[in-house]
Amino acid sequence: MLTPWEIVEKEMIPPAHLIKKNIASTCALFKVLLLNPGFRKRLKRQKDNKIYVRPLRKYALPEFKPGMKNLSKSEKYLRPTLYCNCRVPEITALAHQLGAFTKSGREFAEAAFEFSKRNITIEMVPLDDVSCTLIRGTGTCLQKIAVFVALCRAAGIPARFKFCALSRLDDIFAASLKNAPLIKKWFDGMGSFLLHGEGEAFIDNQWVTADISSGPQWQAAASLPITKLGESSVGLWIFPVPGSSFVRESVPLGMGNSSRILFKGLLASSLPGFNLGFLEQIEKGRKIIAAAGGEAAYDAQARRLRHPLAAKGDLLRVHSSIVFEEK
Amino acid sequence: MENTGYNSYINKFDGLMEKYIPSKSAWTPADEALYGPLDLFRVPLEEAREMQLRSIRYSFTHHYENNKVYRNLCQKHGFAPAHIQTTADLEKIPMVPDSFFKDYPSGREFALWLGNIFTGDLPRISIKGKHPTPDEVIEAFNAAGLAVTFSSGTSGRHTFIPRDRRTFFAAEYAIAKAVVAMIYPRWDTSWHEYLLMPDPRKTCLFAGKAGAVFFDVIHDVRVAIGREVSTELIRMTMTGPKGMKGRIVKYFAGRKSKRMIAEIIRWLEFHEMSNEKIFLFGAPFILSRVIEKLRKEGRSFSFGDRSWVGSAGGWKAYEGSRIPLADFRNQVEQVLGIPEKYCLDMYAMVESNGCMMHCPEGHYLHAPYSFFKPLVLGSDNKPLAYGEWGRFAFLDAAALSYPGFIISGDWVRMLERCPVCDRPGPVLDPEIRRAAGEETRGCAEEVRRMLAVDLKNEED
Repeated sequence: MLTPWEIVEKEMIPPAHLIKKNIASTCALFKVLLLNPGFRKRLKRQKDNKIYVRPLRKYALPEFKPGMKNLSKSEKYLRPTLYCNCRVPEITALAHQLGAFTKSGREFAEAAFEFSKRNITIEMVPLDDVSCTLIRGTGTCLQKIAVFVALCRAAGIPARFKFCALSRLDDIFAASLKNAPLIKKWFDGMGSFLLHGEGEAFIDNQWVTADISSGPQWQAAASLPITKLGESSVGLWIFPVPGSSFVRESVPLGMGNSSRILFKGLLASSLPGFNLGFLEQIEKGRKIIAAAGGEAAYDAQARRLRHPLAAKGDLLRVHSSIVFEEK
Repeated sequence: MENTGYNSYINKFDGLMEKYIPSKSAWTPADEALYGPLDLFRVPLEEAREMQLRSIRYSFTHHYENNKVYRNLCQKHGFAPAHIQTTADLEKIPMVPDSFFKDYPSGREFALWLGNIFTGDLPRISIKGKHPTPDEVIEAFNAAGLAVTFSSGTSGRHTFIPRDRRTFFAAEYAIAKAVVAMIYPRWDTSWHEYLLMPDPRKTCLFAGKAGAVFFDVIHDVRVAIGREVSTELIRMTMTGPKGMKGRIVKYFAGRKSKRMIAEIIRWLEFHEMSNEKIFLFGAPFILSRVIEKLRKEGRSFSFGDRSWVGSAGGWKAYEGSRIPLADFRNQVEQVLGIPEKYCLDMYAMVESNGCMMHCPEGHYLHAPYSFFKPLVLGSDNKPLAYGEWGRFAFLDAAALSYPGFIISGDWVRMLERCPVCDRPGPVLDPEIRRAAGEETRGCAEEVRRMLAVDLKNEED
C-alpha cells in the first residue's frame, strides 16, 4: 500500500499536462467507441483476422540463490518504485548473470541495456511489475525500460525514467495501426501518443540515455541506426510534443489501472492486430538486416546515411538577412 | 544538331521561354550546359562530357566558396575545387543524402536553417511572429524573391529546398525542354493541357509549382486541383487527419476533389468532339482513377495521334499496390485511345533540377547528361558499374542556390545507353523502386493521399 509520502517522494504524481492529456485521450477514446458501435462489434466478430501468438521468451531465467547481492538501497533512484521492484529474485539473479559487481558501472549498464533492448519483445500488455515482464519476455516500452532501470538499481547504479508524448506515430506504428483500425481512429482523434519513454542511468557522474523500447529489428524496419547506450531516440524516431518531456524516479501513478482498463477492456479486440503489427515490423527488420550482411553492416550503412553533415551551430547560425519581427 | 526542323521547333520553344533563360552574356558554364544544347538528350558524348565537367566544377566551386555548411563538409572529406581535373574526379565530390533536407528544426530556427543551407547572398527576409509555421516561413522567403518548395514522405516530414529565382527557372526550363524535346515534333502552343497536379499559383509543393512553366508554352492549361495545398494540408493528408481541425480541413478539401474526376471526363468528352490536340500531364494516380471510372461505365475514347500523356511525380510511391508502367500505358491506350508511345513518364524530384524522361521508343529514362551526372551507388556509397542496381545519386550543375550533389532513397539500374533508341546518353531502367527501409515518397504520392479517400467515397 502506497503512502502519500511515498507517492510524493518517489515522484509518482503525474505532471499536470499528462493528466490533461489523459483526460483528453479518454474523451477521444469514448468518442470513437460511441461513434463506432457497429465497428467495435465487427472487430470482435471478425474471422479472417490473422491470429496473434505471443512470441516465445528469448532467454532462460537465471536461478536465484539465497545470499545473492543486491545493491538497491532506500536512496532516490536506487530503490524500488511502482512496477519497478529492483529487489525481486528474478532481477537480482539476472543482474548477477549480466555481471553486476564484476563489471564497471558503464559495462554493466551496457549489458543491462542490450538485454532489455534485445530480449524483451515489444507487446502491448497491461502494465505490471518487472518480474512479470521478465517471466513473460514481452512488454510495452515502459516495461522494457523498467527492466533496465531495475537491473541498474540492483547493481547499485542510480536509474530513472524519462517520459514524453509523441507527436508523430505513422512512421513507427504504421504496421500496427494498419492491423488495428479502431486504435488508429483513436490515435487520429488524439493527434499524439500519450506516453513514451527512455531510461537513464547515472554513470561516470552523468545521466546517460538508454533507448530501450525499440529492438534492432524494429529500428532496421524503420531504416534507423541501431541505438547504443548513450544515444537518444529523440530526433531519430521520436518526436516529442513540445513541453511534454519530464523525468521521474517512478512510472506515474494511475498508468497501471488505465492500461488494464484499456488493454483488457476497451481495446481488447484491437490489441492482437496491433501486436501482430509489431511482429511484422520485427520480421521486416530481420530481413533488412540479413540483406545488409548482418547487424554491424546494417548499422554502419544506416549511420552513414544519417550521419549529421553539419554542426547544429552552422545550420542555425544567425543570418543578418533574416529579420524576425513580432506580429 | 543538323535537323533544321528540330532547330526551328526548339527555337520557337526557347522564344517562349525567354524569361527563364538568363542573358547569354551572363551565362555561367552551368547555364551553357543547360540552355546551350538544342536537345538535352542528343548532345554528342564527348561534347557532353566537357560540358558536364565544366558545369559541375563551376557549380561545386560556387557552393564551396559561398556555402559554409557545404564547405565544412568538403573540408571534412579533404576535397576542394582544385581536386577536380577530369570527369572521373566528379565522382569524388562529397554528396549530401536527401534526408539532410528533411532534418530541419521548427519555428524561427527553421528560417535560420533554410538561410544557412542556401548558397549565396540572401535578400532581406522578414519573418513575423515568435513561432512561425513552415508555411509562414516559406511565404516570407518567397515574398523576398526566392522559390522555396517542398515535397514529403509518408512520415509527414517534408523535404525543403531553397531555390533562388534563377535556379527555379532552370528547373522549370529543364522540365519543359525535356518534355518538348522528347515528344518532337508534337509540341505546339495550341495544345490543350490538363495539369493533373495542384495549381502552381496555390502551392509550394515542387511538382505543383514547377508546373507553372506549362502556362508559358501551352495556351490552354486547366488544373485538376484548384485548392491551396500547404505543408499543413500535406501533413494532415500524409499522416491522416489528426484532431478536429484536421477533419474539418479534410472534409472541405474532399468536397472539391470529388468533382475532379467527373470534370476531367467532361473535358475529355468535350475534346473528343472538338478534335483539338490534348495533353494530360501529372500524377498518374489521377489518370488511373479516370480510367477506372470510364472502364466501370464501359466507356472509352480514341484520341489517337492528337494526344499525349505525361506522368510525373512517381509510380515509385506505390510500393504496396503499384501498377507496372507498361500496364498503365496499356490501360491508357485501351481506354483513352492514346498510343503507348505517347504515354511517357518523367522521373524528377524536389532536390534536383534535371529530370529524366522516357523515350517514346523504349520507355527508358534518359538523363540530361550535359549538366546533370546520374550515378548509381553501392552500399559503400561508391559508384557502381553500368547495369548494377544501387541507390540513385546525382550531381546537378543547375542547382546554384543549394548544393545539388545528392544521394536519393531510390533504387535504380543505369545503362550506358538506351537499348532501344539512338539517343547517346545514359539511361535508367524504367521502373524506379524505393531502397529498402526508405519511406515511400514522391509528389504523386502526396496528391494520391490528398485525394484517395475522397475519390473512394465518390465511388462508393
